[in-house]
Amino acid sequence: MTSIDVQSLTKEYGSRKAVDHLTFTVRPGLVTGFLGPNGAGKSTTMRLVLGLDRPTSGSATVGGRPYPALREPLRHVGALLDAQAAHGSRTGRDHLCVLAASNRIPQRRVDEVLAETGLASVARRRVKTYSLGMRQRLGIAAALLGEPEVVMLDEPSNGLDPEGIIWIRALLRRLAGEGRTVLVSSHLMNETASFADHLVVLGRGRLLADTPMREFIDARVQPRVRIRTTDATALKSALARHGHDVVEHENGHWTVDHARVDDIGRLASAAGVPLLELAQEEGTLEQAYLDLTGTETEFTTQTQEA
Amino acid sequence: MEFTPALHSEWLKIRTLRSLVGGLAAVLLATAMFSALAGADSEGADFDPLFSVFFGVSFGQIAAIAFGTTAMSSEFRGGALRIALTAVPRRGRWFAAKAVAIAVPVLVVGLVTGGVSLAVGEAVLGAKADGLTWGEELRAVVGCGVYLTLMALLAAGLTAVLRSGVATLSMVIPFLLIVSFVIGDMSGSVADVLPDRAGQVVFHETWDGVLGPWSGLAVTGLWAGAALLLGAWRVRRRDA
Repeated sequence: MTSIDVQSLTKEYGSRKAVDHLTFTVRPGLVTGFLGPNGAGKSTTMRLVLGLDRPTSGSATVGGRPYPALREPLRHVGALLDAQAAHGSRTGRDHLCVLAASNRIPQRRVDEVLAETGLASVARRRVKTYSLGMRQRLGIAAALLGEPEVVMLDEPSNGLDPEGIIWIRALLRRLAGEGRTVLVSSHLMNETASFADHLVVLGRGRLLADTPMREFIDARVQPRVRIRTTDATALKSALARHGHDVVEHENGHWTVDHARVDDIGRLASAAGVPLLELAQEEGTLEQAYLDLTGTETEFTTQTQEA
Repeated sequence: MEFTPALHSEWLKIRTLRSLVGGLAAVLLATAMFSALAGADSEGADFDPLFSVFFGVSFGQIAAIAFGTTAMSSEFRGGALRIALTAVPRRGRWFAAKAVAIAVPVLVVGLVTGGVSLAVGEAVLGAKADGLTWGEELRAVVGCGVYLTLMALLAAGLTAVLRSGVATLSMVIPFLLIVSFVIGDMSGSVADVLPDRAGQVVFHETWDGVLGPWSGLAVTGLWAGAALLLGAWRVRRRDA
């Protein structure tokens, strides 16, 4: 099995550190979400892994070897960096044929990935006639061409229509299910939450978190209970008696922080408060992410000690 | 990674761009057309029938240079170089494949151009071309192929150094059109070792400089080689 190993990777552009002593491993069989604001160093890290940029110090390897040392690398690693990079005057199919030829990938794979990405009908049109979403699909087709064990996609849902976004979600899940190593960068939290098992979070070039997604959220966002009732006063006093704070929201529902539905439901029932709605609110990735970036300095110190 | 798949891929890149295939056709057309036109004006004391027949090379070379430039510069637009180097991460090998993929088609087209130019030029000149020997004709035809190839490689190398086709063309074309023409008459000076002047000795029946037909092409080859080495060095060193 092939993983991506990044070891105290540092890249400086002049005096600016784009990537700062980054160490993490992307493991096979999982979709790893690569998060961070624009300019956090996600794309730079991917370029360093692919040997396109030279690190100032540290190393990045795929399956234990530096990318440039791989024989026929497209058969090991498939990457989408920039969907605009394909030459506009070439047809989509020719673009893939050029890539296939360089790594002795059979022609039939070109037609397979074109069908898989839904581009078969436009394969013989020039890339400059493609929409942003079609270019994105072509970039993904190129990444899948060599049936690689490692797939690395930079913002793959850019420009995709809703149908395309659902498609890419399923594709990423399938690739991980097949045991491949999948690293997907994004700055869209809800999108990432829909496909990622594991998270690597960067902020200003440094590693902020490297944890399973569920743990990441649970550690940062307290669960709370959402209630609607016809008798707000009774609800408030019943909960206050048991030490729960109730917060009223604009559209008429109430929330109780640090609480579980099992407890609140019993309390309300015992107090005879009529309930219209009772639900557990799970923390979202977005909340957890904002919590993390809010306490960024503190958290960074902790991970470096670990 | 081996060289052959990289070369195959680079050749496909050229074949699948219409502008590049068109550029190769332009080499043949421009050369033959201007060689025919030159034959119409065959007076004067320093008339050289061989140079008249191959006069069009001065124009055809612009198409060859444009071809070499465009073939290389398409890799420096957007993230194209990243895609290329992700497929072939050994940069030296990639650059060599690119250079060969540019050189071979220009050489083939250049040799055909030489042959066509000879036929057209001699037909226009008629009896005035009778003095040309078989050896001179063969030399010029082969020279035509080699010269155009070297000029295309020079342009490709410069493009990799400058990372821009526009910069290369705006440097090389004025150079060919102005510098060479202006200081071109000063024989025996630095002008003789300029890439175009040196290489074009091969199209003359007689020459009076230090450089002969083959040593002249060798000088052009040195220019092209230097440009390619610089280009390769820059591709290897720089972040893609």
